[in-house]
Amino acid sequence: MTNVLFLILIPLIFAFISLLINQKLQKYFVIFGVLLVVLASIDIYYHQLLFSFVFNEYIHSIIKILDVILLFFFLYRGFIEKNKLVSIFASIQIVIFSIILLLPTTNNSYDLIIDNIAMTMFLVINIVGGIIIIYSLEYIKTENFSNFKKNSFISLLFLFLGVMNLLVSANSLEIFFFCFELTTLFSYLLIRYRLDNTAKENALRALWMNQIGGVAILVSLLMAILLYDTIFIDKILNIGDDLFLLIVALLALAAFVKGASNPFQSWLLGAMVAPTPVSAILHSATMVKIAPYLILKIAPAFSPFLSLSITLFGAFVFMVASLMALNKDFFKEILGLSTIALLGLMISVAAIQSHKAVEVCLMLIVFHAISKALLFMQAGILEKQFHLKNLSDINHLISHSKLLVFFILVGFASLTLPPFGAFFGKFFSIELFISLINENVLYIFPLVCILFGTVFLTILYFKVATKLLTKLNDTYETTKILPLYKYTSFALVFLLICGLILNFDFESLGIFEVSLPIALILFFGLFWYFSRFIKANIIKEYNCGEKDEFENSAFYIELKPIILDAIKYISIGLLVIMIVGSMI
Amino acid sequence: MIEILFFLIAPFVGGLIYGLERVVRARMQRRIGPPILQPFYDMFKLIQKEPFIVNQYHIIFGIFHFITLWIVVGMLIFGGNLLYVVFIHLFSTIFIILAGYSTKSIYSHIGSNRELLSILAYEPILILIASGFYLINGSFEISAIRESSHYLQTMPLLFLAMLLIVPIKLKKSPFDATEAHQEIVGGVEVEYSGVFFEFLYMAKWIEYIFIYMLVFLFAGDNIILGIVLCLIVFILVNLVDNATARVKINHLVKIALIIGLVLSVLNIFGIVYV
Repeated sequence: MTNVLFLILIPLIFAFISLLINQKLQKYFVIFGVLLVVLASIDIYYHQLLFSFVFNEYIHSIIKILDVILLFFFLYRGFIEKNKLVSIFASIQIVIFSIILLLPTTNNSYDLIIDNIAMTMFLVINIVGGIIIIYSLEYIKTENFSNFKKNSFISLLFLFLGVMNLLVSANSLEIFFFCFELTTLFSYLLIRYRLDNTAKENALRALWMNQIGGVAILVSLLMAILLYDTIFIDKILNIGDDLFLLIVALLALAAFVKGASNPFQSWLLGAMVAPTPVSAILHSATMVKIAPYLILKIAPAFSPFLSLSITLFGAFVFMVASLMALNKDFFKEILGLSTIALLGLMISVAAIQSHKAVEVCLMLIVFHAISKALLFMQAGILEKQFHLKNLSDINHLISHSKLLVFFILVGFASLTLPPFGAFFGKFFSIELFISLINENVLYIFPLVCILFGTVFLTILYFKVATKLLTKLNDTYETTKILPLYKYTSFALVFLLICGLILNFDFESLGIFEVSLPIALILFFGLFWYFSRFIKANIIKEYNCGEKDEFENSAFYIELKPIILDAIKYISIGLLVIMIVGSMI
Repeated sequence: MIEILFFLIAPFVGGLIYGLERVVRARMQRRIGPPILQPFYDMFKLIQKEPFIVNQYHIIFGIFHFITLWIVVGMLIFGGNLLYVVFIHLFSTIFIILAGYSTKSIYSHIGSNRELLSILAYEPILILIASGFYLINGSFEISAIRESSHYLQTMPLLFLAMLLIVPIKLKKSPFDATEAHQEIVGGVEVEYSGVFFEFLYMAKWIEYIFIYMLVFLFAGDNIILGIVLCLIVFILVNLVDNATARVKINHLVKIALIIGLVLSVLNIFGIVYV
């Protein structure tokens, strides 16, 4: 019990401390704080303590007051920045929320429920998020801001962890809504951190898009109170057959908004203007992971129709987002689109209501978080130490820093190849869809989408990876990666290796098949490290005698505007079908 | 026992098929052609050559490609999870792509790029074929797939889709843009020489075994049918190779993908409903 409150409160306390303390001491305090939350989350997971908890009335009132303040703050921002959409959505939310405040509610369930899903999410949020916070200590040091602003960056990241911890344990929709809006607020503040024009613009876009999710949650909350007199997720799930499905469908819509699924993807791509640790924490451990988490949570209430349509929607997003990424040149944008894609995959798996689907989805969530954090951290290093942002500028990186190439390759390989967890997640989800075809042949459409998504992502990652490898035979200078960057990256690689053990839990693959790629990777690693071709003579490239001066050549698949429009309309259409279908 | 033996001699069987293929192709063009053992003569000669390398990574990736491909064939022979085999095969292809990019040679890069794009063409189809087997058998286990037969009746369209991707993997015209000797001088192969080229050469032979074993799977437990199928595919592929001209890589992807996808999806609908 205390552990969970600990997880929620410790980040808040450390956020406060890191705001005030001076730079030198801050480092040790932050590392100490991260260690505390990491240990607490491991402790909860280790003891598997399932429990539930009720807040007393005062806390309920405080949360309601904070909610109102938050909504008025959004309205105020919309007014100041003269952004109509922000003000409109904020006012809609204020109206609905005041209706909800007027309605009497009965407290017939628990405010917080910690189940297995929440425990796994704690691990992801605190360990991966914590490592990113330590990394951002180094990153933010070289930025050109006042000390207070640098401190506030760290404390915002800590607050993010605390709020996410509360969000994943929330059972009451009211508290869930509160956390949802808080993450919207934090992402808004972090995206506009640099305070230039694009940053402000993108932050506002993130704000209004995320508020759509807020509106959706409020509407479903209102309906839940009016129709079933409850504000608790577990009660809604237990209503059974006569459940009005629109409630769940709207919650799913809120999840898609947070997960930046296709019609809403522009807010997450706009978040690139923020300092890189923000992208790292948004993409891996926090914010966007709300999407698969929420779907996992509400999946037991889905009707077959809703389940199929969400699965199809997620698979479609997986395919198109990875296709769009093939055309991008900005390294962070490529990573961002691939996040959107993989979130689509997680959503589509989560929407299948089977025990195995939950397991596969959690696996994807965990390993995607680790790999994405690793990759975004490398993007930050590329930016800070090598001054590289675009794919077309990254050439023969391996001649300058082998370690960085190693990290990036591990990041990509861990998302696509055996023996890493994310690969097995994808593998099992493909298997899952194939086995579903026998029950309902329509599942072939999500299957085909997922196959394409998988292949697109593979060729995307290795297109990027190939840019790094071209080795020069001339002399060159090497750059050393700063220690804090290096250790945090190694920590994530270590987590990936720890994750290999998890793969042995699955029955459908034998021990031989799982351990084979591990053996291969070990063998290749040793071979790579020890092999020296002393007897061979090193020569220049033959290249058919041609002396073309060229830099590395990668392909880009350009999509015509009409196709992009079509993608947008199809995904909006799928959403409309989902919502209309759930009303009937 | 016989499986272990076959696993060990797999590259050499592949070499024999390759030699035979050169003879057959020559006869189709009314030439006499090289002796069947010509690939092995090439091999001995390559080993004797003085070793030259461009850089270490290039060579290491080439060797890794060879080893993983051999393991893939091993998994096909000993019987594993078919879907998994397809993915490990992808793993091996990734190595050759990385190898192509690790030198600063334009032909090598173009070859790698095309190899990468051709994954897009055949990978979804291979997985759909695997799912076809799953829908009939309820299992991806190759040993289970080998126990029953009549796959040709139940998945004829998937077999046609398979025929489409055979030339892509074997680098046969019209789908040989990844290698295209006259155009990009062998693509990825161009910077290898001597004994190191030998690894790539043998990897190519193993690719033959991989593809023909997949074709063999369609026969199920009927070994004679399997041999007949392989022979038909062998002759057909070489006939088409002699009779057609190369298509561009983007056309390759479009043709193979669209036709293959439509065929396989139709077939899967058929399996579920019929």
